[in-house]
Amino acid sequence: MSVSDGNPARPHRIARPGLIDRTQALTFLFDGRRYTGFSGDTLASALLGAGVKLVGRSFKYHRPRGILCAGSEEPNALVELRTGARREANTRATVVELFDGLEARSQNRWPSLAFDAGSINSLLSPIFVAGFYYKTFMWPAAFWEKVYEPMIRRAAGLGRASLQADPDTYEKAHAFCDVLVIGAGPAGLAAALAAGRSGARVILCDEDFVLGGRLNGERHEIDGASGSDWVRRIETELRSLPEVRILPRTTVFGAYDDGLSGARTFGALERVCDHLPLPPAHQPRQRMWKIIARRTVLAAGAVERPVVFGGNDRPGVMLASAVRTFVNRFGVAAGGRAAVFTGSDDGWKTAFDLRDAGVAVEAIIDARRDVPSALLAAAKRLDTRIFVGSHVVGAHGARGVDRIDVREGGGRVTRLSVDSLAVSGGWNPSVALSTHVGGRPRWSDVISAFIPGDVPRGMSVAGAACGSFALADALREGSAAGAEAAAATGSNRIEPPRWRCAEEATSVTALWNVAESKGKAFVDFQHDVTDEDIALAAREGFRSVELLKRYTTLGMATDQGKTSNLNGHAIMAALTGRAIPEVGTTTSRPPYSPVAIGAFAGHHRGKDFKPTRLTAGHAWALERSDVFVEAGQWLRAQWFAAPGEASWLETVSREVKAVRSSAGVCDVSTLGKIDVQGSDCGLFLDRIYINSLSTVAVGRVRYGLMLREDGLVMDDGTAARLGEQHYVISTTTANAAKVMQHLEHARQVLWPELDVQIVSVTEQWSQYAIAGPNSRRLLQKLLGDALDVSNAAFPYLACAEFSWRGIGARLFRISFSGELAYELAVPARYGDAVIRAVMSAGTEFAAVAYGTEALGVMRIEKGHVAGNELNGTTTAADLGLGRMMSKKKDCIGRILAGRPGLADPDRPALVGIKPVDRSARLYSGAHLLSLGSDPILANDQGYVTSVAYSPMLETWIGLALLVRGPQRHGERIRAHSPIRGGDAEVEVVSPIFFDPDGARLHV
Amino acid sequence: MSDSPLIARSAFSGLARSVGDGSGVVAADRDGLGLATVAALKGRAEALPQRVLERFGIALPDGPFRSTADGIAFAGTAPGTWLATRENGGNDFAADLREQIGAFAAVCDQSDGYAVLRLTGPMLRSALSKLIPIDLHSRAFKAGDVASTVAAHMGVTLWRLPDADGALVVDIAVFRSLAGSFWHALAQSSAEFGLIAV
Repeated sequence: MSVSDGNPARPHRIARPGLIDRTQALTFLFDGRRYTGFSGDTLASALLGAGVKLVGRSFKYHRPRGILCAGSEEPNALVELRTGARREANTRATVVELFDGLEARSQNRWPSLAFDAGSINSLLSPIFVAGFYYKTFMWPAAFWEKVYEPMIRRAAGLGRASLQADPDTYEKAHAFCDVLVIGAGPAGLAAALAAGRSGARVILCDEDFVLGGRLNGERHEIDGASGSDWVRRIETELRSLPEVRILPRTTVFGAYDDGLSGARTFGALERVCDHLPLPPAHQPRQRMWKIIARRTVLAAGAVERPVVFGGNDRPGVMLASAVRTFVNRFGVAAGGRAAVFTGSDDGWKTAFDLRDAGVAVEAIIDARRDVPSALLAAAKRLDTRIFVGSHVVGAHGARGVDRIDVREGGGRVTRLSVDSLAVSGGWNPSVALSTHVGGRPRWSDVISAFIPGDVPRGMSVAGAACGSFALADALREGSAAGAEAAAATGSNRIEPPRWRCAEEATSVTALWNVAESKGKAFVDFQHDVTDEDIALAAREGFRSVELLKRYTTLGMATDQGKTSNLNGHAIMAALTGRAIPEVGTTTSRPPYSPVAIGAFAGHHRGKDFKPTRLTAGHAWALERSDVFVEAGQWLRAQWFAAPGEASWLETVSREVKAVRSSAGVCDVSTLGKIDVQGSDCGLFLDRIYINSLSTVAVGRVRYGLMLREDGLVMDDGTAARLGEQHYVISTTTANAAKVMQHLEHARQVLWPELDVQIVSVTEQWSQYAIAGPNSRRLLQKLLGDALDVSNAAFPYLACAEFSWRGIGARLFRISFSGELAYELAVPARYGDAVIRAVMSAGTEFAAVAYGTEALGVMRIEKGHVAGNELNGTTTAADLGLGRMMSKKKDCIGRILAGRPGLADPDRPALVGIKPVDRSARLYSGAHLLSLGSDPILANDQGYVTSVAYSPMLETWIGLALLVRGPQRHGERIRAHSPIRGGDAEVEVVSPIFFDPDGARLHV
Repeated sequence: MSDSPLIARSAFSGLARSVGDGSGVVAADRDGLGLATVAALKGRAEALPQRVLERFGIALPDGPFRSTADGIAFAGTAPGTWLATRENGGNDFAADLREQIGAFAAVCDQSDGYAVLRLTGPMLRSALSKLIPIDLHSRAFKAGDVASTVAAHMGVTLWRLPDADGALVVDIAVFRSLAGSFWHALAQSSAEFGLIAV
């Protein structure tokens, strides 16, 4: 009998097109060969329609594999899609929407799909059993990393990654709703409509590109219309409701925590452009949704189970429901001579649908002895052989099934010639999303499967997902659940809509495996786990489902065992004489189906991994330098190279010398600035810093050091008193947010009784350090009469707020460089204009712009500590700042700073080091050792924290933390850096290399 | 030279470029908006609202809400803390505010600390759903509501204004240094709908 619709070019297309548009032909390539499919096809239906049954080789044994399913649970038909940088491995052909020009390739075969050298593994299968790797690659241990693992990695795995950057974009989005409906089959559509009609905000997600679920694969009637017509009618009404959002091609892959309001978070992946050759401009390939739903209706349907028998993985052996879907939705018959092997009423539907489509049904094999008489009567018209109480014990055929052996109850075996076999072992409700937050599924004897047990708060389950397989039940349950969920969120309580449809036979008798079968019988197709592996695990004691899973890898492939877990557990139950509920089941974790890592990253990749913070002077800096250093999220100019300079060291040395001889300007806007106000602000700061700040006079600045609760140094900076009840404090760039948090904690939690208000003003002010012996003259030129900056009027550590050229500015006479220096602060919108004005005023003094590197050199020359020394392991005493600790008051960290460990006089403390050979280079991180001692940990006496080449001293210098360092000035030791290869004899000196008396500060 | 006025530069200067086709999202730079943080002094929590009402005719909101009158607005951002704004107020606003209510609250100029955009357009809610993890539906976030949240890993404060031409309108404030990254993220999220910089 011919199956064809009469067109010889498409022998497997039946007369009825289903939901396919046969006027829209699409060409595609599979393994380099050109085929034709139609609009509405999946890659799987198009391959089957073109007569291609063999689509891949299996993971371990390289067995020929075809298409098992018609949905996302597919374990076999994994292909590589697209080419070049867009190549995607392990794509399920059953969910790939066909587009014109699609290119796909089979995986895991060499040199070709039809002849695969790796299939020799199949002959060696007795050694490739469960636990093979654990048992085999034990010895010698040294071989594991260099020999065994690379070898195994080469042989295993499926598709190949492109190893190129993904040229497409991905994005993330948030959605909120009253009712989330997961699945747009009959139950989900009914739920969405009931909730939508009540006015609730509804989101309806379905992983398919067509709504309707099983209705598209079956020949149901609802209210006298076909199932698919009913779907279009409901969809039309849903689209007319303004608060209903429909997301097709969207898989809800995970259920996560709920909040105090009871709203629960779900992860969903929308395949926005996967069905197109290329995403259009500005469209992401995929969109990751975070959906926050107050109530959820889980209507995810069910997955049909295959049956475990010899040769059950042959191409052409397919799930009975998938066969119906291909016939009814896609107008494709996988073969011309079919048989059906079932343990339930449901499987018989496939025989009826195939026959009505013109496919010869050679036999129906039902494992049950008692088959409902109505089915037997209906089957009479099929002109087919019926075997009851019988099993398929073997399927044969090199590249696809061509014959099967049927064993009747009495033991007689009949060989039948067929080219396709539909199998139905029963149905597993898709309970995954009910288990992601800890819910355990519950065994149902009625359907011989697990159904949702204790479901997450706010979730209800409807239709096949809770084991209600009859259409009438799915519609009724969905409608009620949708209405109820909407009402629970405060929407109008409405009468749930109702529809009429025929009664169905849905009786199931569990059919797991055929113990009498011959040949390899697969439980987990994707991981090549057989019934023998389960038996081996049972014999070796791996009987718990969790151990079984890990020992055999059952259910650990990307399909998470959707078609295999329960069959494996049932076989284990039978082997160990236990009931299935006693054996239990593993629970699944998100994601329900694979999600690309790129979708989780969204736009946050490359330079967009984190935001970048730029100072107001950035555009100016960019005109003079292209070398910036990241300081947290900030970008800071590292140096400003002049024409002809050959190295960064030459540039930095020039900048340092210019500052020390005349003047230089550095953007210090990135340092944290915190405004502190209130009548208790002095008291508050006294408790924060180790030194006293309440005694600072108005108009003056003081250096301060703060500790963590544990007594170690947290940060340092300056506190400027702008008014009786007004300070502005500075923090290091890196610690700005942490210090703000620390102060907020102190203010809100520790001392809520204090009158203190704090706010970050880091972003409000652009601040420039103007340093060098000519800095005062530069400022006088810049500021004119706006402020008297003479030494008498504005001495070292003075500060002032003043009005200048129409803006409110601040000036602080503070110095990190050790020179006469000021910091000028202006509202950030003037930051660009002011740095240009400063440089312009500095022209006659040959003032330079200097970057963070020169800043670092000068602070090392002055022995000022910075991030390298404030590294979370040092105390105030370690840094030579112990005497700052006021004894007249308490502060955070004071008590714990007195712990024996922290007060130990033998702790490494701050010193300077200079190489004895003045040309020797120093390295930060180098270990300090006594001369002549071996470079071993026991001899370690400290380490170098910061180094710089000092253009003033014309030698490398360093700051270091050395055991009893301050008492060892003049001693010679060794700075040993095994990582960088440096090893220098150094002299221990004061950390203040330059201008030790600070004379230059006060001029 | 020292008397010529300094030229102000908006945080979005040179950054605010239109992207894509269409005008699904429209963004206007609110440069010049006067902004100041206002934090009630200890023991002045009751006197402050009285003073604000007297001086500005504004009932100081208690919670994440915004009240406005005559171009001045107070938006609640934390207990006892507000972000006050004045249209075209510039840096003078904070100084004026300090004069008016300084005895009751700590006032800090933030006119330069935040870069503010006024966003609107028929697709604004869809575009913002990619940036901001909060519900901007009218049932959840009404005109006058305020939120401090994150947008693409950047802290933001936003408030909803009355709809214009049937479209959502929000002001969104981000730390000035992040203006470039924020515009970039907004452009990525809005590109499919078209982003117009006005």
